[in-house]
Amino acid sequence: MQLPSQLLENAVAEFAKLPGIGKKTALRLVLHLLKQEVDEVSHFGETISKMRKEVQFCKRCSNISDTQVCSICSNTTGRNQQLICVVENIRDVIAIESTQQYNGTYHVLGGIISPLDGVGPDQLNIETLISRVKEEETKELLFALNPNIQGDTTIYYIQRKLGQTNCKVTTIARGISFGGELEYADEMTLARSITNRLPIEQYVR
Amino acid sequence: MLQLQQISLVQFRNYIQQQFSFTEKVVGVCGLNGSGKTNLLDAIYYLGFTKSYFSRNDGQNVHHGMAGLRLQGQFLLNDEPHEIVSILRENNRKEFSLNGEEYKKFSEHIGRFPCVMIAPDDISMIIGGSEERRKFVDTILSQIDRNYLQHLIEYNKVLQQRNSLLKQAADQGNINEELLSVFNEQLSKNGEWIYAQRLFFMESFLVLVGQFYARIAGKDDQVFIVYESDLQKGKMLDLLLASRQKDSVLQRTTIGIHKDDLLIKMGESNFKNDASQGQRKSLLFALKLAEWQTLKTKKGFSPILLLDDVFEKLDEKRMHNLLKWVCTDDDGQVFITDTHPARLKQQLKEVGAGFQLIEL
Repeated sequence: MQLPSQLLENAVAEFAKLPGIGKKTALRLVLHLLKQEVDEVSHFGETISKMRKEVQFCKRCSNISDTQVCSICSNTTGRNQQLICVVENIRDVIAIESTQQYNGTYHVLGGIISPLDGVGPDQLNIETLISRVKEEETKELLFALNPNIQGDTTIYYIQRKLGQTNCKVTTIARGISFGGELEYADEMTLARSITNRLPIEQYVR
Repeated sequence: MLQLQQISLVQFRNYIQQQFSFTEKVVGVCGLNGSGKTNLLDAIYYLGFTKSYFSRNDGQNVHHGMAGLRLQGQFLLNDEPHEIVSILRENNRKEFSLNGEEYKKFSEHIGRFPCVMIAPDDISMIIGGSEERRKFVDTILSQIDRNYLQHLIEYNKVLQQRNSLLKQAADQGNINEELLSVFNEQLSKNGEWIYAQRLFFMESFLVLVGQFYARIAGKDDQVFIVYESDLQKGKMLDLLLASRQKDSVLQRTTIGIHKDDLLIKMGESNFKNDASQGQRKSLLFALKLAEWQTLKTKKGFSPILLLDDVFEKLDEKRMHNLLKWVCTDDDGQVFITDTHPARLKQQLKEVGAGFQLIEL
């Protein structure tokens, strides 16, 4: 792509580094910015760089935060601080928060154990989780990891690392999705749903 | 019963666009070398297994110089019509659908429209390495029980992870023991399950192979097959612990059901080394027909039998016995290829079943 300005080219190259953005989309975005007032664009740039500079990761749960300890971890009245939900990444925190059904805290692992992809337990926030459970005398650890082999590996590993503890270890339910149709559910899921069936009084709530 | 009534091939190997209708239970396909006999059989197999029998990647199945392919088959299964469509898009994305419903997981299709292929290269199953024999057994069991395929996939995934951990540990000089034992447990759980399935299956299957061999060969060569597995020596978890040192040194998992094999004996000697060409072929047919028979018993209907170039492999008398047996089966559909139309016609006439001849 031939561009009339080196400055323009640099900006396009930067945008094109973002996920899902190609050269042409990048150019469109840059040209859009060029049409705007200088102040507005400065504000845009500052917002981004301020975000990157000042956002912190909660030292307790690794969630995104504006302070050293995130708003969920510091909310001792509305949140059950002795319940920890273990998730793979921050996107999962956002997904669970949107349900408005969970009132405990989180622990973001930052990935999942998979030596094939070069991710071992040392690359993840597992040590901090173990010490957190021991120090805080956590009552329950709820695993909300993807239901696949690597997810299982990670759960078993952490459970093993925890050793003997009074902390209850649970995992999110696996089965037929809400609003789904039995006919089209795959057999594994359906079989599991039948094995782990629920008493109605627990279901209708 | 299962019957293929019509198939249409678009840009599949040497076919640009062609349609075939099958009206009879026995279909003879003849034509010169390179006219596409094997490709036609493979197209049928493809619709049953979502992939080619000859394990090339999908790009290689596309007609030379073109992009994308489409296979469509009309099947009759227990008097109900079914339509299977497989499309490979120009960008190499594959779609597979049954009656207009696209599969999310191709593995769900396996076993619903079973077929058994016998091709000349299959002889490697007898003289080649153990992998071919495991693949043979896995193909049968996956078609009978969908859980089997699921366990096998999981086993292989954990196996890769464990091997990867062993490699990294060798590079770094220390290993995460807890993670290794998690993998050991995950591997054993699936491994023990698969072993139990294989063991149970082999019991009746191997007897069946012996019976078929005797029938095809017309005599008792004292051929017998033994199922061999590491897990016969003990629980997989214990075996993994015992081979811990060896695994670390070799940087891979040295015991497990991924090492299973079928040992073929003839009398006291090893079949692989001592059997004649004819004996090897007879055994190949016995294995495949036992597969066909097993699937038939489990499914309640006969799988489609695809015989590629079989006349080159057996003498006339054996061939006649075999054809008579498979063609006069009450409900099975059989496809047979040959280069000589006259010979094929003659053989099929002698068998006495209704047949149809397609010349390419």
